[in-house]
Amino acid sequence: MDGLLSTSFLAALLFGAVTAAIPLLLAGLGEQMSEKAGVLNIGIEGMMIAGAYLGFVGAYYSESFWLGFLAGAAGGVAVAALMALLCVRIGLNQIVIGIALTLGLEGLTALLHHFQFSRSYPRLPAAAVTPIPLLSDIPVLGPALFRHHLIVYLAVAAVWVMIWVYRRTQLGLNLQAAGDKPAALDVAGIDVVRTRTAAVLFTGAMAGLGGAYLANVGAGLFIPFITNGAGFLGIVLAMLARGRPLWVLAGALIFGGCLSVTTAAQVAGVNIPTDLIQMLPFLAVMAMLVLFGRRASLPAALGIPYERGAR
Amino acid sequence: MRNTFVTAASAVVLSLALHASALGAEISSIAILTPEEGTDYGWNQQGIDACKAAAEAAGITCEVAQGLGYGDVRPALRELSEDGAGLMIAHASGYNTAAPEIASETKTPVAIVDTPQGLQKGLVADYTLSGHEGAYLAGRLAAKMSRSKHVGIVVSGEPPSWNAQSAGFAQGVKAENGDVKITYAVIGPAAYSDAAGGRRVTESVIAAGADIIFGQGNGSSFGMLQAVETTKAADGGKVYFIDVIGDKTPVSKGFLLSSVVWNITPIYAAMIKDIKDDTFGTKHYAIGLTDDSVKLLKTDQIPDDVWGAVQKIRDQMISGEIKIEPVFEATAVRGLMTDVSAAAQ
Repeated sequence: MDGLLSTSFLAALLFGAVTAAIPLLLAGLGEQMSEKAGVLNIGIEGMMIAGAYLGFVGAYYSESFWLGFLAGAAGGVAVAALMALLCVRIGLNQIVIGIALTLGLEGLTALLHHFQFSRSYPRLPAAAVTPIPLLSDIPVLGPALFRHHLIVYLAVAAVWVMIWVYRRTQLGLNLQAAGDKPAALDVAGIDVVRTRTAAVLFTGAMAGLGGAYLANVGAGLFIPFITNGAGFLGIVLAMLARGRPLWVLAGALIFGGCLSVTTAAQVAGVNIPTDLIQMLPFLAVMAMLVLFGRRASLPAALGIPYERGAR
Repeated sequence: MRNTFVTAASAVVLSLALHASALGAEISSIAILTPEEGTDYGWNQQGIDACKAAAEAAGITCEVAQGLGYGDVRPALRELSEDGAGLMIAHASGYNTAAPEIASETKTPVAIVDTPQGLQKGLVADYTLSGHEGAYLAGRLAAKMSRSKHVGIVVSGEPPSWNAQSAGFAQGVKAENGDVKITYAVIGPAAYSDAAGGRRVTESVIAAGADIIFGQGNGSSFGMLQAVETTKAADGGKVYFIDVIGDKTPVSKGFLLSSVVWNITPIYAAMIKDIKDDTFGTKHYAIGLTDDSVKLLKTDQIPDDVWGAVQKIRDQMISGEIKIEPVFEATAVRGLMTDVSAAAQ
């Protein structure tokens, strides 16, 4: 147990929790906007893995994490554009297309990796951190929470930006209407398809960014299937948070925190089945959001393509 | 009369065919299905290389279906069977349900892993391999070289093969020095491609004091490698990595201490022979130190005197002076981490 009491170990655990939470936060916030606008974006896992691959390629060749993030976001947007075309513009089934995109992108990125990196497995250097003055000097919490790459702080700040957009702006109202009563939005003279398309593209950017963060900062490399279901976890967080960005943040942090708790339990030598320990993050997120997120509701037109004049 | 002749002739042909079948079968090709690409310097690559080598030795071909992921491989199995594969090697524990089903459906023999109880004569063979003897040597090596007297085991799942190696490593560590602490951590239930998780958990184990990591993880092992390359040990020095199954020397940056390298070729060659001899699905296959199908990798990071000492232990194991029994159950493995001294003979 002595290892558990060391400040470096506790700091590493908390640092790991934040690192694990950020991709889920970005994906969850993105998915939340799609869902608000009425699009169930099952393809987010594909957007994440596209972002992870292009993010890594961008960072590796440019030697710049920021260009990597930009490339990752662009990759997510490219996949999202397909989703928007097929599901929002043409009105195909959102679940089928989302799954197809995910499977296709997993295969494509695995193939590209095979030709490009499978003999060399290049790895990025550790990401540069931006310590927050004073706060980063706090024992344990400082190095764990306030010594991260700048993108981490921006991701957390995005939560409040999203809250502001949803509560205070016309865009937020339009998104809400596109998900709840798209016909009413149409009558008001706002283009429903354009609104939903913008939401899906935003989702792609956020998911791609999350994938790029996962590959570049979380792992420092790209391997096939690296997202390992993180996109689907983002969907779960968005569904359970039901329109509330703060709950996505809470869910992501709880999930990341529980991942670290599972590591701590194992390092402490707790001799209980690992499968039980590993269930903890999922159980905790579900319990928290089911208990506290019940009053919110999902958009009425979620998953239903909009067709003007259709009944 | 004509009908009687045709019926009789058909019966003769059928009985001859059945008789030939009962005596065994000639095959012209085998196939292997892997969840990830065969370029991982590990499980997938070793399997594919072994399939090709065994097929070449037998004068037949090896069809490779790689990067199939961990989902449903039934369509791929059916297609390979239709293409004429005489043996399909389902090279992932996640294929254990689908492969026997397709074997029953197509009557094409399959080989699966981590299911010793799943044998079906002529149809299903299991090759739950264990490099526990090599892992024991790795444990002895780690205990000799650890500066902090604290080593870590990080795994991305708990399949029987890896459990046996985790246990073997722990037994080796304790046999070498009972005071060395062992920290054991699983990334996730089946986190084979979770490189970020591999890095996160490994960094935590290093922060707990370990300076040598014994990692088993398929794709996620690259995350573990990244962690040892970018994280300092508690004393500010290097953290070393011991890999399994393959040889990552070409992609290491001086942090690879060793690897428990497997050679699966003899296993697949034996399977081909068993199909021909009609004994397929009736026995278990094993790898070990004796024929070098399991061996410890020598790298520049290992001093000559330490390597010499480890080789002496290897000789003792081959002669039977030191015996290590494989431990396949995860619960038993976790128990070993707290007190393994009694388990090592």
